Amino acid sequence: MNVQSEASRNFSRRGFLGLAAAAAAVPALAACGGGSASKSSGGDVIKFWDMPWATTAYNDAAKKITESYAPTGSNAKASYQIIQWNNFYQTFSSAIASKTGPAVSTGGGFQAFQFEQQGQIAYADKVIEALKKNGQYDDFLPGVLEPFKSDKGYVAVPWQLDMRVFWYRKSLFDKAGAALPTDWASLLEAGKALKKIGAVGFGTGSGAGNNFGNHSMIMMMVNNGGGVFTKDGQLDLLNDRNVEAVEFLLELQSNGIIDPAAVGYTTDNMSAQWKDKKIGYGVFQAGAAERIGDTSGDFAVASPIAGPHGDKATLVFPNNIMMYKNTPSQDSSEAFLVYYMGQLKQLWQQKLMAALPVFKSITELPEFASNANNVKIVKEWQPIAKTFASQGSTLNANLAALDGGQALNQFTQTILTGKADAKTALTTFQSGLQSVLKK
Amino acid sequence: MSSTTAPSGLARARRGLAPGGSGGGPRKLNEGLNRKSKLSGQTSRTFFWLLLPSVVLLVLIHGYPLVYAGVQATHDGSLIDTGNFVGVDNFATVLSSPAFWKAAQFTLWFTIVGVFGSWAVGLGLALLLRTKIPAGSTFKVLLLLPWVVPIVVSSTAWNWLVATPDSLIPALFRNLGLGTPLFLADPNLAAVLVMVFKVWVSFPFMMMMTSAALASVDTTVYEAASMDGATKWQQFTQITLPMIARSTYISWILMTIFCVNDFPTIYLLNGGGPVDATTSLVVLAYRKVFQDFQTGPGVAIAFLMTLTLVVVSVFLYRQIRKSSVE
Repeated sequence: MNVQSEASRNFSRRGFLGLAAAAAAVPALAACGGGSASKSSGGDVIKFWDMPWATTAYNDAAKKITESYAPTGSNAKASYQIIQWNNFYQTFSSAIASKTGPAVSTGGGFQAFQFEQQGQIAYADKVIEALKKNGQYDDFLPGVLEPFKSDKGYVAVPWQLDMRVFWYRKSLFDKAGAALPTDWASLLEAGKALKKIGAVGFGTGSGAGNNFGNHSMIMMMVNNGGGVFTKDGQLDLLNDRNVEAVEFLLELQSNGIIDPAAVGYTTDNMSAQWKDKKIGYGVFQAGAAERIGDTSGDFAVASPIAGPHGDKATLVFPNNIMMYKNTPSQDSSEAFLVYYMGQLKQLWQQKLMAALPVFKSITELPEFASNANNVKIVKEWQPIAKTFASQGSTLNANLAALDGGQALNQFTQTILTGKADAKTALTTFQSGLQSVLKK
Repeated sequence: MSSTTAPSGLARARRGLAPGGSGGGPRKLNEGLNRKSKLSGQTSRTFFWLLLPSVVLLVLIHGYPLVYAGVQATHDGSLIDTGNFVGVDNFATVLSSPAFWKAAQFTLWFTIVGVFGSWAVGLGLALLLRTKIPAGSTFKVLLLLPWVVPIVVSSTAWNWLVATPDSLIPALFRNLGLGTPLFLADPNLAAVLVMVFKVWVSFPFMMMMTSAALASVDTTVYEAASMDGATKWQQFTQITLPMIARSTYISWILMTIFCVNDFPTIYLLNGGGPVDATTSLVVLAYRKVFQDFQTGPGVAIAFLMTLTLVVVSVFLYRQIRKSSVE
């Protein structure tokens, strides 16, 4: 082999290797390059990430609202992106860590507080000031804004309320000859009567992905004047009111008033049980009639019931919109959020939302007020609604670990299967929760 | 008579040396060896440069996440913030937790039933489909469906079959006078259900692996065995099983990995409940990271799972090599 051919061979080998290395390096370098949160080739854009809160028609409408935003002055335009609920926390975390996340977003109920704890949230005080100026501040329903006010400022702005309320089947109560419960004692009696006709007197469920069971437990504690935390935010599961509430739930379970299969029910299973007239009375959410496809009036919202000490309360999850520090312009984020809050009524006018609005003016819209169940929830349930932080009032990051966490889920399933007495179950719940809560 | 003994002669012959000689004398031998060594060095360098891009990519794709996971497992942070270094505290916390050992126990049973249950069903069907039955190909395609259909669809279908007292299967039991089993509400029944579901989802994979292995078995071996008076059972245990052993071990390794790492089968059917009755290690790790927001302990569980899988895989690979030698 001559020198020339050897050199040629070496050259081509090196050339190939160089090309291969370059090809390998391009995506690697691209991945290593820090992303700018909200920049596009067309200039700065406020990225708004939203969840599938209702049907796809909802997201279409929200997208339209976002893209119709015409910023004034030097403020940036906004873009819209849907983020699926599956692994949403991971999606947000990864994006925020790589600085490719949104400037503004909806999300999990306590997500804003989790990211605030990590220094990623931009406080919304200026937005609140702007809402005061345009009159929307005074339009908030009572008590919905306060849970978002921390020592440092407003962590997020509420935009809809996910309420837990009791629903009932008129036809089943008629058939059982039972009166609608007004307190726990009459709930027990009604449950027994419903059981005689093969119906369930306390509908709930805690199967895969179903949080209604968890919420039922806390709702009953809150309904009895109890709650997971003290007023100053200390864990307080073993208080007398909680023990009393859990003992009552166990009484419902042992009397067969809670469906023995409920522990395995998904939300779809639970909806099907309501639809098939197997449940006479139980915990569900606003918009449940539309969800199960029965708006005949037979399936309706019941009035709140009183606990043994006369307390009346329920649970509410105020869903919110948050802003992040990683934004091309904080002024632009704030301007967009103020605009979006002003457009919310469109979503209820188009009847796209199952949840309750946060503005009184929306509850007065004919499209909302024509639904008797909605009106009843706003009139009777909203004023007595408390958050997961109860007996405290301000939301915090720890509530995320309570809401979706294993400690509450295990506790709920223990009660629904009657596997432990109230104090034992609450003690296990307390120690499980203690181990996951950040000090 | 040559002084060269037969074995050393053969060795020399394999090296290209003349009997009793040096293959051209010491100088030529040295030149040859030098050239060979030079070529060998060149070849090694070529291989090195050719492999480098792939190695770099592998390190970036697998190595970096592994190292980062190692960092998370030894810190008390979150998905965004690494947090403080805590050494092996997360591993100690996990290993001293009853929930971990309960999940490990369930994972063990889930894997044993998943691997051997699906293998037994798959082997049986592969043997059945090897015989000439009408519409055999159609059956093969139909039997693949549980593997092909997305788990999210099949788990919904199974949920529909068993979830409520009035679902199809509990109603069937009731009509047969066997009570009303609550498959998703009773901890023991839930565990059985999840395992049966896993077998149902996995047997087509085993069937295909075994069918491929059976196709390579020479049928004349059976004829010969038959002529020697071997019974069908003897043919199965003495011919079929040994001849598909290599494929069987590979399928066991793969299915063991599939079972230990199986998240959707369990989570979609009943979320690991009731009361943790069907919580496997991977479900527990998911809950720790994404529901309890305890990244360190969650990743520590994942590391322990990986370690266990490596040990089991090495053991089974040794069995494969043993079966190859035999």
